This record gives sequence, structure tokens and C-alpha cells, in this order.
Amino acid sequence: MLSKSSKITRPEYLKMLPELASPMTVRIKFVKKGKLQYISHLDLQRTFNRILMRSGLPVWYTKGFNPHAKLVFSTPLSVGTQSECEFLDLRFDREMPCEDIKRMLNAELTDEMYALDVYIPSTKFSEIAFCEYEYEIFADSVSEEFAGELEKLFTTSPLTLVKKSKSGEREIDVVPLIKSVSVGYNKESGSIRMNAVLCAETENFLNPEMLVTAIKTKYGILTAENPAEWYSITRKKSLKSDMTEFR
Amino acid sequence: MNKNISTILKSVSKPGRYSGGEYGQIIKDKKDIKARFAFCFPDTYEIGMSNLGVRILYGVLNEADDVWCERVYTPWIDMQEQMRKHNIPLTACESGDELTAFDMIGFTLQYEMSYTNVLNMLDLAGIPLRSEERDDSMPIIIGGGPCAYNPEPVADFFDLFNIGEGEEMLPELCRLYIRMKDEGRYTKAEYLHEAARSIEGIYVPSLYEVSYNEDGTVKEYKPKYDDIPKTVRKRIMKDMDKSYFPKKVVMPYIETVHDRVMLEVFRGCIRGCRFCQAGIIYRPVREKSPETLNEQAKCLFESTGYDEISLTSLSISDYTELEALTDMLLEWTDENMVSLSLPSLRVDSFTKELMEKIASVRSSSLTFAPEAGTQRLRDVINKNVREEDLLRAVNVAFEAGKNKVKLYFMQGLPTETNEDLEGIAKLASSVVDAYYKCPTRNKARQPQVTISVSCFIPKPFTPFQWVAQDSLETLVEKQEYLGSKVTDRKVVYTHHDAKVSRIEAVLARGDRRLSKALEIACREGFMFDAWDECFDYDKWISVIERSGLDAAFYANREFALDEVLPWDIIDCGVTKEFLIREYKNAHNEKTTPNCREKCSGCGANRLGGERSCCPKAAK
Ligand code: SF4
Repeated sequence: MLSKSSKITRPEYLKMLPELASPMTVRIKFVKKGKLQYISHLDLQRTFNRILMRSGLPVWYTKGFNPHAKLVFSTPLSVGTQSECEFLDLRFDREMPCEDIKRMLNAELTDEMYALDVYIPSTKFSEIAFCEYEYEIFADSVSEEFAGELEKLFTTSPLTLVKKSKSGEREIDVVPLIKSVSVGYNKESGSIRMNAVLCAETENFLNPEMLVTAIKTKYGILTAENPAEWYSITRKKSLKSDMTEFR
Repeated sequence: MNKNISTILKSVSKPGRYSGGEYGQIIKDKKDIKARFAFCFPDTYEIGMSNLGVRILYGVLNEADDVWCERVYTPWIDMQEQMRKHNIPLTACESGDELTAFDMIGFTLQYEMSYTNVLNMLDLAGIPLRSEERDDSMPIIIGGGPCAYNPEPVADFFDLFNIGEGEEMLPELCRLYIRMKDEGRYTKAEYLHEAARSIEGIYVPSLYEVSYNEDGTVKEYKPKYDDIPKTVRKRIMKDMDKSYFPKKVVMPYIETVHDRVMLEVFRGCIRGCRFCQAGIIYRPVREKSPETLNEQAKCLFESTGYDEISLTSLSISDYTELEALTDMLLEWTDENMVSLSLPSLRVDSFTKELMEKIASVRSSSLTFAPEAGTQRLRDVINKNVREEDLLRAVNVAFEAGKNKVKLYFMQGLPTETNEDLEGIAKLASSVVDAYYKCPTRNKARQPQVTISVSCFIPKPFTPFQWVAQDSLETLVEKQEYLGSKVTDRKVVYTHHDAKVSRIEAVLARGDRRLSKALEIACREGFMFDAWDECFDYDKWISVIERSGLDAAFYANREFALDEVLPWDIIDCGVTKEFLIREYKNAHNEKTTPNCREKCSGCGANRLGGERSCCPKAAK
């Protein structure tokens, strides 16, 4: 078994592994939650570069003046959203069992961001059509009725919101981008639990935060004015167009 | 982190500053802990996380099983607004606990303009500002860092100061605290007295009474007890090879200012530029051996994954084993895709060989610091750089295809005339000319020479500590004059805000009475004064006046050589006689050789030191 301490300098340690004729792609499914939800995509990329460096994994680096690893992430995740199903594709230039990769990666990670699964992928990120999110909402005014109201809000077209994108801002009706939504009220915790399946294709990507924006605008709750009210969003699953889970 | 603040975190800029949870942070079980230490950096997370001193002291304090050191940074303005609005106190990164739950709170004082942030942080934590207002239940407030060499302007707020290097002092302070608590004899007063008496380098300002002359200058410092030192001598780490080194560091997720391995090659500087405080207070030079450094670099690379190693020390090219070190490093860095960088270069040591080894030098822009525009003035400040050296250095760069050069200067230096100012513009133009004269230059590009000019600030423990800063009007006039002399269109002229430099001078040479002004400043919401967008000169002048003081007394007065200086209570190892000698040499335009050429008997050798620059280092 390989352990990190066998790494004197990287190349020497790597020589023990069988070399591959062409780089192999490995997919990492990972969790990003808790404090890590506040880390932006750009920061995550830089962080992963360092994680890979210190992990001692046989990552394939581009040749040339400024060698770098090729990191390909799946669906964007905005700051303030947690996830239990992030995907990252990496290329390796030496053969290594997936369990070893997972173990070595997790040695460099924390309990708020860690690899769930490492495998050789047989799908493309472009096959992701939807993402399923779980919302939890705490506010004084929430109730059984409010849950029903929310469900109506997100199923009655049009629900017009401003969508920001690279090409600027435009108003869109978000209801067609909501595949399904179910809202419940949890008496014990006094919170709203909402489950929503949203469009995740590149052109029609619906940021889950948009639903919270709709709630904020309509009911005036969940703003920084009252920090006792709070919400969390967690991406639970990525789905293909036939609604089977993406892997 | 408290769940309740998530709504706020989602509303502020860069929430990653406050979320914590970094890889490498140290979490301990509170039930094993006898002393909790909050290490505060009074500026943003991005700046604080880049500080090497914090990395070292965080590590050294956490070495003890019964001590837990955590980090605290100043929340940015938008976050502070939310915290104040919703009564959310300042908390530490690791545990998320309020600062009042700690036994000790340490602030590193890196620059004078961060003083308002120190007070602001205490206030956000609900801790009374003044030492005398805090009872035995409150944490002990500790100050350290370069500004602690003249701690007087903030003396009323701190319980004690660390003078010098903290690797041993801070753990000693914790041990004493734990011992007194265990023995059931802890009171704040007893603790402070015992620390002042038994731990070298500890200055407890409340144990010294200051009296003033009629003209406002200090008359004397009188210790309240016979058993505490009359002057407090700084502590140093004698053997840098044996000195504590953090094998792991906290890895920030968000981008910070210096996001790389920082390899401290040596402490101190052999040069002795007469305006430079760091060049004096960190004396004597103590080097690490290249073998140690190579091991430490490898260790940090493996534990962090950083792809850049920066050799951080003042004037790094003065390292006696630079070649051996870079050769050792290059043996493994290249194949691991790690690059080397140097933060500071001297023109006289800038060679083609060095350039090829160091990645940062591979970038298109190079930075040098001639500091003054004429040889005469460079002799006055003892910056032993000749114009030929500079032109030779830029030529090396131009030959290698570079086209951008940045030059640092100071204006307002003692004895400066218009000719010296004009010399800055001329020197910049000669660099432009050198570009066109260089046959192998990159002909596709135009040269770009940036001159960045700061204002001279007289700093404690420098040969210029007595010198009056130019008046604000003169500083501004000089800036304009220099601007009018920069006619070369390939030269870009930038300068610092003279108003900030004036307030910095006030705080740098201030005495204890300034605590009052700082207290008012804090009450009136001053913060982030090192940041242009926050600094307000008129408000500063107003609080100084309202505390019955005069900014000119501190900034623009020539201090007498025989007057008692507010920082005379501190002994930085370098003698006042040496500083006076250097002050006189400056006025005679006489240079002093660097420590390797010839020892000038500054007195720092009395502190001892392994692999030091002193021929007669104390054992
Ligand atoms: S004692 Fe001499 S060699 Fe040592 S720091 Fe002072 S001047 Fe330099």
C-alpha cells in the first residue's frame, strides 16, 4: 500500500506506479458543505490545485512554461449553497486504484469537504439535465399555510425574476425551469422543508438561490435585517434528462 | 460558527473571510486547555493570513497541550456594520467563541495606522479599551511586533508588550499564567508585576510612571517597583536553526496577499539604511544554514501544496549562502513544478545567474529601491547604491527581454534639495535611455519605468529618529515639483498620500498622551486607516487637537539629541551612541560600511547570536 511518507520528492515516488500511455480521466464526487459553502468557484479551483500538489497523486500536468493540472468541475455552485454531489474530473498519468486516490485525497481534506466516491466515469457532464435541492427555511412567520403558499408560488406561471448572466440581466419566468417542487412544514423545528428539482443545463441553468430571492421579495423575510431568520440550500443529486441519477 | 450568522454571511462581501474551517487550523478540546490565546491581526483576513510572524507564533503557542491559540482578524466594514446592528460580538476563527472567553489576547502591531483597528476589535469584542478599566476577569491584552518598539501611543490600552521576538516570550507568558492560576494566586496586578520582573522582554506600561517637562517633552520614566527593569531589553532567538519552525500552516481558501511558502532565510539586515527601522530593530543578522532551509522548504511544500517558495528576509541577496541554498532548492523544486521568488533585490547583487534561478524575476516587471535621486543624498541615507549599479542591473533585465522597471524612492529625506528631487526624474530617464541603448532589448515593446515615491517618516530607533518630518505643505510642494520634472513619457510617477504619512509620523514618535486621541478616534468610528477609502486627515487632526495635542509637536519637530525620547524605555540592543554617530555621519554625508564589510560597533552583538554578522557576538 502506498503511503504519503514514501514521497521523497514527487517524481521518485511516482516512478513506482505503472505509467499510462495516455492520461486517464478519474471522477471525484465530493461534498462541499458547512463553512465551505462560502468558498467561491475560483477559490475552490486554487484550493484543489494545492490539495492535489500535497496529496502526492500522479496528476497529469500540461507541458510547457506554465504546467498546470486540468480540473473540470460539473454544474456551477454559487456561494452560500452546499452540495452533496459535486463532480470533478481529473487526469492522471500513472495508474492507481480508485480507493487509493480517494484515501489520499481525503487525507488532505476536512469534514466539510471530502471525496465520497472516486471512479472512472462513463458519462459526460453535459448529460446533467436537472439538480435536486433541499431547502430549509427558518422564519417567525412560517406555518403549514405558508408551506402551501410557497408551493403555489413556485408552480404558478409566470413568476418573473431577474436572471443575471454574462450577457447581462434579463427578466424570465422561472416556473418552466422548475421541474418539480414540494414544500412541507416541520412543526417540531418550526421550519419549512422544500425540495425542488431545477433545470441545470448550461443554457437553462436555474440558480437555486433565485427561489429564495422570490421568497425574500414577496414576503420580506430571510434578509440580513433579521439574522434570526435563516435558510440553507443543499444540492442533493444531479439528474439526467430521464430523471435517473447522474454519476 | 453560529448558525444565526449565516444570513449575514450571505449578505456581506467575501464571506470566506469569516467562515473559517481551513485545512491546517488547530482545533483542541477545551477541557484539556488551561490558557486560551486569541492571536489578533488588526487588518483584513487576507493581509493577516499572509503574515509570517503570525504563522510562527500560532504554531509555537499551540505546541503546548494545555494552550490553545486561535486567530482573529478585523471584519471588513460591511461585516462590522452587521455585527454592530445585531449585537454580534467579535469571535475567533477556530472555536467561534467570543474574545471575552479567552485568557489572553495578543495583537501584532505591524503598522501604526492599524491602531484604530486594534481598539475597534476590542470594542467589537465588548472589552473595555483601557487597561485600568479591565478587572481580573478580563483577558490579558498583549501587544507585540515592530510598532511595540515605541508602544507609548497605545500604552494605556495594553496590559503588557512583548519587545522583540516572541517565540519564547509568549509561551513563557502562558506558563506563568497557568502556574499562577493553578496555585490560586492569580490576580491581574500580581501577574503583570511578576511577568515584568521575571520574563525578559516584557514591558508593562502601567508599572512605569511618565512625567513631562514644561515644553511637553518626556522628563522621565519611573518604575513603580525596584525589582522591574529600568529599560526593557528586546529578546531575540539566538540560533535560527534551532528556533521554532511551523511544519504546517493554516491554508486559506480565499486568495490572500502572500499565498505561498514563506521561507525565512535570516533575521535582520546588514545594511543600515538610516531611515529604516527594520534594519536596526532586528539586529543582529542571524542566518539559518542552507541545509536547515532546504529541509524546511521541503517540509512546507509537502504539507501545503504551495507551488511557490518565497525567500523572505530583508535584502535577501545579502544571504551569505544564497547560491548554495538556491542550488539545493532547485534540485527538487523544478521537477515538482515549484517556483522560487525573492521579494527584495539589491541592484548590486542582481545578476543574470540569479535571474535565471528565480521565477519572480522571470516576470516582465522588476523592482529596485534606490530611495534617493542623487549620490549625495544616497550617501546621507547610507543607501550604498550607485547609479552605475542600477544601470547595470536594469541592463541585465533588458537584455533578458524585460521592459518594465519599478523604482522606489523617498521624498522629504533629511537635507533634501530640489536637485535631489530632480535627480529622481533624471535617474528614471536614464533607465529609459538604457533601454534604447540595449542592443538585445525586446524591440517589440516600449520601456515603462514607474517611480513610486513615498514620504520620509522619522521612525524610532533609527539614526533619523530625531529628524523633523517636512511640513505637509512642503511635502505636497515637493511632490508637485517632482511631478513637473517628470517629462519623459515613458516614466510613470506615483506617490503616497502625504497626509497619511504625517499621521503615521505622529503615531510613530508619539508618547503616552496620544492614547487619548486614539480613544476618541475609536469612539468616533475610525477604522482601517491604512486603507485610502477610510482614512480622513481632517478628522485625525481634529481628534489630536481635541485631546489637547499638536500633530506638529510629534511629526515636524526636530527632537533634541539629549532629550528623553518616549521609546527610551525600550532597549533594542543598538545603542543610542551608535544612532547619534550615524545621525552625525548622515549630516556629514559620510557612509558607514555594512556589517560584513566592517563592524561599526552598534551594540547589537551584546545580544549574541549564532551565524550572526557580528565578529564579537556575545556567547
Ligand atoms: S555589532 Fe557590528 S556587526 Fe553586529 S550588528 Fe552591530 S554593527 Fe553590525
